[in-house]
Parts: sequence; structure tokens; C-alpha cells
Amino acid sequence: MTAIEVNQLTRAFQSKRKAAGLAASARALFQPEYNTVEAVRGISFRMEAGELLGFIGPNGAGKSTTIKMLTGILHPSSGGARVLGFTPWKEREKLAFQIGTVFGQRPQLWYHLPAIDTFLLFGKIYELDDRETQKRIDLLAEAFEIRDLLETPVRKLSLGQRMRCEVAASLLHRPKLILLDEPSIGLDVVAKQHIRDAIRRMNQEEGVGVLLTSHDAGDLEALCKRVIIVNHGQIVYEDKVSNLKRKHLTTKLVEVRYAEEVPANFRLDGVEILKVGRYGVKLRFDTDQTAVDSVLAHLSGVGELVDITISDPPLEEVIAKIYREAAPASS
Amino acid sequence: MKNIKFLFALWKANLQAALEFRAAFLTQIIFMMINNGAYFMFWFLYFDKFKNVRGWTLQDMMLLYGIAATAWGLAAYFFGHFTTLGEVIANGRLDYYLSLPKPVLLHVLASKSLGSGMGDVIYGIGSFILSGYLSWDGFLRYVLGVLAGVCIFISFLTIIQSLSFWLGNTVALSQIALSALLTFSLYPSALFNSATKFVLLTIIPAALVGTVPAEFVRSFTWSSLLQMSAGALIFLVLAVSMFRSGLRRYESGSAIQVEV
Amino acid sequence: MKKYLAILKMQVINNLAYPGDFLGRSVSIAVFLFIFAGLWQTTYIIAGTASINGLTFANMMWYLMMAETIELGRPRTNRIISEQVKNGEVAYILSKPYNFVLYHFSFGLGDGLMRIVINILVGILVTWLLAGPPPSLLGWGMALITMVGAWILHFCMMALIGLAAFVVEETNSFELIYQKFVFVLGGMMLPLDLFPQWLQEIVRVLPFPYMMYAPARLFVKPEFDLFLQMLAGQWFWVGVLVVLLALAYRGSEKVLTVNGG
Repeated sequence: MTAIEVNQLTRAFQSKRKAAGLAASARALFQPEYNTVEAVRGISFRMEAGELLGFIGPNGAGKSTTIKMLTGILHPSSGGARVLGFTPWKEREKLAFQIGTVFGQRPQLWYHLPAIDTFLLFGKIYELDDRETQKRIDLLAEAFEIRDLLETPVRKLSLGQRMRCEVAASLLHRPKLILLDEPSIGLDVVAKQHIRDAIRRMNQEEGVGVLLTSHDAGDLEALCKRVIIVNHGQIVYEDKVSNLKRKHLTTKLVEVRYAEEVPANFRLDGVEILKVGRYGVKLRFDTDQTAVDSVLAHLSGVGELVDITISDPPLEEVIAKIYREAAPASS
Repeated sequence: MKNIKFLFALWKANLQAALEFRAAFLTQIIFMMINNGAYFMFWFLYFDKFKNVRGWTLQDMMLLYGIAATAWGLAAYFFGHFTTLGEVIANGRLDYYLSLPKPVLLHVLASKSLGSGMGDVIYGIGSFILSGYLSWDGFLRYVLGVLAGVCIFISFLTIIQSLSFWLGNTVALSQIALSALLTFSLYPSALFNSATKFVLLTIIPAALVGTVPAEFVRSFTWSSLLQMSAGALIFLVLAVSMFRSGLRRYESGSAIQVEV
Repeated sequence: MKKYLAILKMQVINNLAYPGDFLGRSVSIAVFLFIFAGLWQTTYIIAGTASINGLTFANMMWYLMMAETIELGRPRTNRIISEQVKNGEVAYILSKPYNFVLYHFSFGLGDGLMRIVINILVGILVTWLLAGPPPSLLGWGMALITMVGAWILHFCMMALIGLAAFVVEETNSFELIYQKFVFVLGGMMLPLDLFPQWLQEIVRVLPFPYMMYAPARLFVKPEFDLFLQMLAGQWFWVGVLVVLLALAYRGSEKVLTVNGG
């Protein structure tokens, strides 16, 4: 079943342009000049129900604008979209009953009240009966480990604690789909881990689909099965995360330690030597150009191996590479 | 029906938030009452000297103040965002309301409560009682007049501030509109020539929140009932349609904010 | 002294940066004058006399114009201090080599000067149309001189209220009530001449008339005796309030350091 279907979605913004100075201000008053900026340019994709889809891109790539169109907050300039069978900007209220949203930079919990009060208010907004609301709160409190936080005024919570409450609040009405816009922004490693675990759990237990934007590759690695990378308002890459890794994580870093001293003139065909120490070597190679077993065979031929570490470069680097490769085509 | 339940839930949350700062809440209420009373001293002094101006006495002025203050206070307490709607729009803070399944305008307006409004309400009711027009049918007409006033206050400011969808920031404009509306509403329109009276019934509907309901309470006439209800309805329809067509042009934004 | 002049200049420029707000203020005075023209025109017709307690309709309108100009041009120091306390900016100002009170004096004056100028211009235009030509040059002279003292009195009051922000943060309510007292007891909406005798006597021992009534009344009826009398009273109150302000500032400085800034 398809949860989201997006077809050539486009959104342009107009911004007033004004040169510096008083004279220019006066001129702009009568003859405003406009710049048109296309934040989203003809994006098309599909998302299946219950899928974990990552939507990543640098700042200003059009991630948030897309999410806002999919929730009905923004009307598109052209193109179409169906979310759970609704056209978001036309059937916003009906759609809102079925989806949950978290905007990482826009808290939805009432700042001066304990989170439980916002949960109860949301219960009314989503037209749940009181018993149902209470049952959901209990379940979410356990899943997000927020039971002890619910009665503290939100302003006194740490960012990580608040974010857990935010995401939990977005799941109160048992949505079929949640759209998370930068849910991990500003969080520390532990808090991120916490939120990711809870989201994954809700996805497995309730089958809620998750569309998540982030510029943190960690979110993607930990949560998503499939990824769409956008830049300059267009999709520049779309595939399974595992494929992304397989295809683009072709560079390997290898560190070896030997029992005896390494010859100072150590070298290997098709391999970049990063460092040669007295007992160890650090090198990098591309699996497309150099076969793994030949490298390993050569390494073990040099002497008695004491230790070997083979690692991938961070996913961030891969994504940054995709941005760079996509850049010339679109600008 | 479900929307009414939802409104009550919002008001409850607002009250809970206000009670987090109980002392400030009470101070606001009391100070607003003193403020209104102090302002009204002018009319005590004026009528002490002149008694009657075009059929308006001190009693009538108390009635007019009673209605305008109650209407304003109810709007401010229950729909507190009606003076700051333009900022909500311009700063992209509608996102929150748009992502929830309730009528956006209603939801925004009722999501803020100005504690001082309660002070205006109490003052307004007191002023009405002291005006001497309290009777069963007088009270009913007072309630009707106040409701029309609430509707006009909110609708008029919604219309002005919906311009934010097109123009961006309208803080200065809405302040001018607000102060003109409020200032004019506190004087009987009998003081002005007919051109001004017409303006006060249409472009700046101050007569519809002051003079007309006050005359309606003094004595029932179909004409003032019609003016009040037609005015309230027309302004309401205008406000809702302005806001709706604006939503299509909404641009959101990325400012970091705290919803208080 | 130069640095305070610089602040003043910055504020004047700052004011010009927002033409919308600027225009908005001039609309307020026009609305006010228009309403009061309606009220007093009617009142004079009903009273059937050309002058009420020695004031003609033209006197009344020019009086109100001057009073409203002062009201709209008075400093908003308390709001600025409140704002600075809330957003922590106060720490920056206190850590710079300014005298905190003088800083706000020049800030408020720079802010107020432009408003006074625009309101006088709009005020003259509207009042001239509604009530005929303005008072004599002598009136202008006496009004301008007493406006200085009036402005300083306003500043002292607003700064006193503003300093309360160190303790209570929100001072808006105090300002509103203070403003209403000035409106009524200071004679902004009704000249003291029209008050009942007993109230006039009470009001004259308070500082409020020197903030509004003095310049506005001297403007429309420049009498030399009254001028001297008003000037003396005004500067007596300036002395009292400056001492109070200095004491209050010392007190609040202590509060602030206790809170750790």
C-alpha cells in the first residue's frame, strides 16, 4: 500500500529585493522588485505504508518545504501529492487525524505546562475519548521512558527529554504516518540514541510509517531502510540505505600490526599508503579497483599479523560526495 | 460540538498556564480594573460640569464603557491572539496549528489568553450594573451587544492582520487600526457628523462595539439590532474568507520559536 | 558627554528606519484631536457660550494638541528597561562605561524628539483645520520652556517605574495606571480650569499638572505670573524626583548584583 505519492511537486517563494540605503527603501516602497526562489523543483517519489524513509540534504535543500507541503501547511506552486489518500492542502484537517508531525525547531508542547497537560489537550484535539487518551499516554510513557517527566513543566526539561515528549505527543492519536522534521537537531549522542530506539520500536509494534528529514547521517543509518537525498530542491539520489552503503562505501580503511618490524619501503599496487610505522601500516583502497582478497593476501605475506582493522569511512563523507557530484548538474 | 469541546480544552489549558503564574495573573486583572476606572474619571469630571451631551449622560457613558470593556475583555481573554495574529503569520508560526486537525483561525485565536482581559470583563460588568440599565431584558440586550462587540473586535483585527499573508509584517498597521477602533469606540458617535458616523459603522466599525449596542440596551429598536447583527456577521464572513485565501499564500518560515 | 549625544543621535536615526511606526504615531494624534473636536464642538454649542471657564473652543483644541504631543513624546523608559532586563541586554549596558540612568535619558530623548517633532507638525495641521490658527509666539516660547521640565518629570517617573523591573520584570501595568493619572489629574483630557474647585486644590500639590497642564495651558494663554509659578513648581518636583531616582538606582544596583546580573 502506498502511503505517500508525490508527483512533480514544486514550490516557489517570492522575496522582495532591496538595495542598501534610504533612497533604495523609498524606491522599493513604490516599485518593489521580486526575486523568485524555487525551494522545491519537481520532486516525485513514493513511500510505502510502514516504511522508514529518510529525507536528507543540506540546509536549504527543500526538505522542510516538502514536508510542509505533505502536511498541508504550504500550498504547492504546482504538482500533486497524495498522503494516505488525501491531497494535503485540500483535505488538511482529515489528513491531520491520520498523521503526526514533529518539527524539531518548533515545539508543540505548551512551554509553561507539564507535558501531560498538552497530551490531554491533544486528546481533545484528536477527538479521543478520555480513557483512550490515558491508555495511549501510558503506553507512550513506557516506550519513550518519559513517565517521570510528564508532570514537570516543559520549560524545566532538558532538550533531549523535551524532544522525547514531543515525538511521543505526535504518536498520541495512533497515526499511520509520522513526519519528523529534524527531530535530532541540537541533541547529544545519548539523547539521539534514545529517540531513535523509541521511534524504531513504534514502527515495529504499530507499523507507523516514518518520514524523517535530517542532516545527520547517523539518524539515517540507525533508522531508515531507504533514503532520498535532495539538494537544490531536487532529488539527487534515491535508494536503499544498504545499497547506498554497498555502492558508495567502496573505500576501505585498513590498519594492520605485525609481530616483526615492517620494511621501510613497504608498498602495494592499487593501494594508497597513509602511514608506515615501525610495526604497523595504515592504508586505504577502493574495492572497485583493487580486490579485497589480493590486498589481504599481500598483507599477510609481509609478515606475521598481530591485529587487523578494516573500516568504512563515515556515511557523512559519502553523502557529502553525492552532494558534490550532483551540484554541477543542478546549478 | 466537537469543536466546542476542543475550545473548552484549550481554555482550560490557558487557565492552567495562567495559574502557573498566579500572582502575575491576579495583578494583571486588578491593575486593568484600576486602569479602566482611572480613565473613566474623565467622564465623572466632564459630566459633573455638563450633565448631558446630545442625550448622553454619565449613566449612558457607563453603559457604553461597560459594553466595550466587556467585549474587549472577552475577546482578549478567550481569543487572546487576535491582537498578535499578524506576527504569528509573518513569523511562520502557523505551522503548528496547520499540522493539527482543527480549524486554524479558531485554534490560533484561542491559543493565547490575555489575563488583563478578565480585568476588563469584571470592570465592564460592574460598569454595566452601576449604569442603572440592569433589568431582565436590559441584561439580555447587554449580552447580545457584547457578543456582537466581541465578534467585531476579533473580525476587524483578523481582517487587518490577514494582510500579513501578502505584506509580511503588519505590526504598525494593526496598531494604528486597533488604536483607532478602540479610541473611537469609547465615545458616542452622536458627537460626529454623518460622514464620520458612516465611517464608524463601516471602515472603522467603532460604533458597532460602542454606541450602537449601548443604544440597543437603552431601548430596543429593530434598526440597532439589525445594524449590530448584520455588522457582526459581515465582518465575521469577511475575516474568515480573508484568512482562508491568505492561507493559500502562506510561506511558513524557519524561525526558532517557543509556543507559550 | 559625547557618548550620550551619540546614543541620542542613534535613536533619532533608528526612528527613521521604521516609517510605518512613525506614521502610525501621527495617526494617533489625528484621531485623538478629531474625536475631541467633536466632543468640544458639541459641548460649546450646548453650553451656548464662546468660552467655558475662560477657555474658547480654539483654546481648548490647541491645549489638547499640546497635551497629546507631550503624551506621545514622553519617554518609554520603563518598557525599554523591562525588555533589557528580560533579554539580558542590561548586562551589556551595565558593563559599559555609561551611567545607566543617563544612558536611558539620552536614549529616551532621542526616541522622543522625533516623535514630538512629527506630532507637533501633524497636530498643527489637524488643529488648524479644526479650530483656526495657533496661539501667539509668546505661547510657543512659554510652552517650549516648560516642556523641558515636563519631559524630565516624565522621564524620572518612567525611570522609577523601569527600575522596578529589576525586581518584578513586568512593569507595563504600573505604566498604564500612571498614564491614566496623568491623563486625568495632569489635565491631558480636561484642563484643570474645568475641574471642581476642591479637586483643583488637591491636584495642584501633586506633580502631575506640571507634566501636562503647565505647558499646554501656557501655550494657549501665556500669562507671566502663571509661567513663573509653574516653572517653580515644576523644578521643585524635578529636584524631588531626581533625588528619589538616584536613591532608587542605588538600591536596584544592589539587587542586580545580588542576582548575579
